[in-house]
Amino acid sequence: MSGLIDCDVHFSVPSLQDLLPYLDPASRDLVQHSSDFGLTLPTYPWQHPTGWTRKDTFSADTLPGTSLRLLREQLLDRYDVRYGILTPEELMCVSVLPNLHLAAALASAHNDWMIDHLLEQDKRLRGSLLVAAHHPESAAREIRRLGGRDDIVQVILPGGSRIPYGNPFYDPLWRAAHEMGLAVAIHVYYEGMGIAAAPVTAAGMPDFYCEYHALLCAANMGHLASILYHGILERFPGQRVVLVESGVTWVAGFLWRLDQDWRSCRSETPWCRRPPSEYVWEGVRFTTQPLEEPNDMELLRGALAGMHPAETLMFASDYPHWDFDEPTLTLRTLPKEWRDNVAFANARQLYGLPAAESAGVGAPA
Amino acid sequence: MTRPSAASLRLPRQQAPSPGTLRVVEVGGRVVGLFNVGGTFYALADRCPHRGAPLCSRGEVVGAIVPIGDRIVLVDEGAYVRCPWHKWDFEIATGKAPAAPWLQVRRYAVHVDGDDIVLSLDHATAGEG
Repeated sequence: MSGLIDCDVHFSVPSLQDLLPYLDPASRDLVQHSSDFGLTLPTYPWQHPTGWTRKDTFSADTLPGTSLRLLREQLLDRYDVRYGILTPEELMCVSVLPNLHLAAALASAHNDWMIDHLLEQDKRLRGSLLVAAHHPESAAREIRRLGGRDDIVQVILPGGSRIPYGNPFYDPLWRAAHEMGLAVAIHVYYEGMGIAAAPVTAAGMPDFYCEYHALLCAANMGHLASILYHGILERFPGQRVVLVESGVTWVAGFLWRLDQDWRSCRSETPWCRRPPSEYVWEGVRFTTQPLEEPNDMELLRGALAGMHPAETLMFASDYPHWDFDEPTLTLRTLPKEWRDNVAFANARQLYGLPAAESAGVGAPA
Repeated sequence: MTRPSAASLRLPRQQAPSPGTLRVVEVGGRVVGLFNVGGTFYALADRCPHRGAPLCSRGEVVGAIVPIGDRIVLVDEGAYVRCPWHKWDFEIATGKAPAAPWLQVRRYAVHVDGDDIVLSLDHATAGEG
């Protein structure tokens, strides 16, 4: 698949020690001296029963998701990836870290580290700007500080949150993203952890990781409804939103429900001048991974048909995680007439990415 | 003009609904809502085209809540009828639901004849009350 754009490529900062040169002295002190042996971060309460990452993506001397050499070999070169949209790993937790000032400092340090170690090293890579979502003013400052770079294509927020992302609490963040022309991505992560107020579901917290993984859609459903009903896409015309790693077969039915309820309850949210789905067709995109795999793959086509899949789906592999979607075979499960759009055209349009010739991609720096 | 073939009802103006209200009447065995929107009369079938609810006999005359600048305001009071079941609003003058433009409430012809309001089971034509 030539010209592929992979919209979910994870890369880890090997350790918090690596961020020390990028932190201000006070934050550096906190990272080094917290909890006797250094700062610990909120993390998943579950263990993955068979391991979080593909076994071939790390070795005795390489932590998972920290090798640019392996990223090139196993993804960028192997699949002729034209652009890989980087998404953070454990540091996505800054938005559920109670100390919001430290969270903002860690987010900035992460971004500067990413620029030095990844974006400046391989021109096929594009960055997601990490911000402290629970401190929207600092998030707005960070968006304005780095959002003008050509290699930064979106702001990224985790699924776990105190308040759904359409709430006016986040207006400074949306305003800055809109002003800088950046998409806002919401990537499932850290639901019900740290200061994220809600458990993973209204039923409570899942006991097992496999329960959680099947419920990845839950938080993003909540964020999507909030964003649509608060009129974010009405108030910030042209704003783009990407839902990452939350599955896709739920989307059509959920939009039917949102539209149906809008007809009956419009007087509650009169700023939503049009049915919610219309804002989605214009401004919201969904990454494919983990693409649902029914035993009869023909059923998938029907399940996706109502979400305008040829316009709203963008391919993602989730490299190097255990639920990696192999590009060639995954795209082949989709109808041929959707394939080019899903593989690259939708992402190129959404992120405003130049064509290969002008970007000089394929020649790693 | 009322065609002789269609069932009709002649109502003295004193018995007609006041602005912003409706009166439910029976014409030729059909239940019809006679509405007064700002002095103009309209007639709609008592049947919601969505799921068949008694739109006029159990519905409610309402306005529209809309954003104007930074304010949320109530406008066009009396211009819409709200279905009693799913609460979809239909514009009385057109029978159209702004939120479901593919639907159309059946409209009937109304005209003023001297001191009377005359309602007929003829379909209303464009611009006619």
